[in-house]
Amino acid sequence: MITLGLEEKNTFLEAINKKSGANVLNCYQCGKCASTCPVSDYMDFRPREIMQMIKLGMKEETYMSNSMWFCLTCAACSGRCPREIDIPAVMEAIRHLVIEENYRSTSKKVKDIRKFHEIFLEMIKRYGRNYELRMMAEFNIRTRNFFKDMNLAPKALLKGKIPLGHESTKSAKAIRKMFELAGKLEKRK
Amino acid sequence: MKKLTYFPGCSAHGTSEEFDHTLKLVMKTLDVELEDIPDWNCCGATSAHVMTETLALALPLRNLVLAEQLESKTMGIACASCYSRMKMTKVQMDGNLDLAKKINSTIIQEGNYKGTVDVKSMLQFCYEDIGLETIRSKVTKKLSGLKVACYYGCLLTRPKAITQFDSPEYPMSMDRIMEALGAEAVEFDYKTECCGASFSISNTDVVLSLSGKILEVAKESGAHLIVVACPLCQSNLDMRQPDIVKISGWKYTIPILYFTQLMALAFGFPREDLRLNKNIVPAEDALSNIGKIQETPQKVIKTKKAVAAAESEVE
Repeated sequence: MITLGLEEKNTFLEAINKKSGANVLNCYQCGKCASTCPVSDYMDFRPREIMQMIKLGMKEETYMSNSMWFCLTCAACSGRCPREIDIPAVMEAIRHLVIEENYRSTSKKVKDIRKFHEIFLEMIKRYGRNYELRMMAEFNIRTRNFFKDMNLAPKALLKGKIPLGHESTKSAKAIRKMFELAGKLEKRK
Repeated sequence: MKKLTYFPGCSAHGTSEEFDHTLKLVMKTLDVELEDIPDWNCCGATSAHVMTETLALALPLRNLVLAEQLESKTMGIACASCYSRMKMTKVQMDGNLDLAKKINSTIIQEGNYKGTVDVKSMLQFCYEDIGLETIRSKVTKKLSGLKVACYYGCLLTRPKAITQFDSPEYPMSMDRIMEALGAEAVEFDYKTECCGASFSISNTDVVLSLSGKILEVAKESGAHLIVVACPLCQSNLDMRQPDIVKISGWKYTIPILYFTQLMALAFGFPREDLRLNKNIVPAEDALSNIGKIQETPQKVIKTKKAVAAAESEVE
């Protein structure tokens, strides 16, 4: 459904342009991004469609799609865009707005992807660095997927690919402070 | 001995320990002394920039500020993802002083960002700062007979405006380094396709599909093995390969090595030093091609006689 009336101001487009530094209006719908994108087959709406949805002010549909969560920021699309639009930055802007405005997708895939990133950041906050084994284990526990990659773990452990212990940065305290101050900065916007 | 500030990244102490180890051997041979950034922290990888604007810049910025307090004016980064985040932050900080000031306020005890340190991936450092001539001069055991497919992935050369290194579509720096070692770098159309990156844990299906295509094309290109410069690419292509093979029903596997492992081999380090035991897909068979004389396919000369003979056979 197109939610933009002709007289209505497209505040959605403005918000995306401001946050991403791109100008989505430049898109002339050639579709190079969609055909280049390695994950467009997994998206509800391919990058070309997302661009058009933003131009039409379709905020709800864009926010509830899975497209920006599947974007890998590989930058293949922007490298080939004839209008030189920074499409990964647009995808990033959508993600950040979705988080700020507290939208939540019901899709399991999207939930898993968000959960992964949340756990990753928690790891950094706690230790200053990331530990792959802990990361994997936490993810499996929190997504109730206890046996995922169990075939991989013994092999990787035997080969010493994944150390059992872990080290923290000495200034883990400084990192926690950074998280706290960064959180305040984000809220002030 | 030349000094270089070194950022190993979190995986150097885990899944890419062999990259870190061989990189250090290679740098010693090349007369480069690596100096670790004291008490470095995680760059935030994909997760920080996906979830928050501020941490995406603050986490790399802390490392940049710490690096500025060391002797070398260049920071060499092993991991492609760390490199991408650090370079992205540097470009944004240098281009927007107000933003730099704002982000700097979250790490005030570390000091102020000055922008005096350049950021390079270790591949870029080898290619631009050390150069092919020097690399060639250190080779004691040529890798002739070995055919490699050089895989760069996304972040080492893209986005062009940020990396300012090699071609975003068809880079050749790693290929040239491999040739300097005596190996043959095959033409490889998938050298900058994405492996699935951070979906390794959260969305494994995507990785199996994307990495599967890369392996298949590399094999079709006639390569004995794939050479990489990124820990996440390596672990997706290597650790996930048994699953990919199972799904696809292939009768073959293809080993994944870091470019520094092959450099160490060509510089004369013994096999044990390459830490090949860390590979899930064994690399020994592929490496046994070194020194073998390759059968070059005989050129088919289509003389009139031959064509006539072929035609009469058909009849």
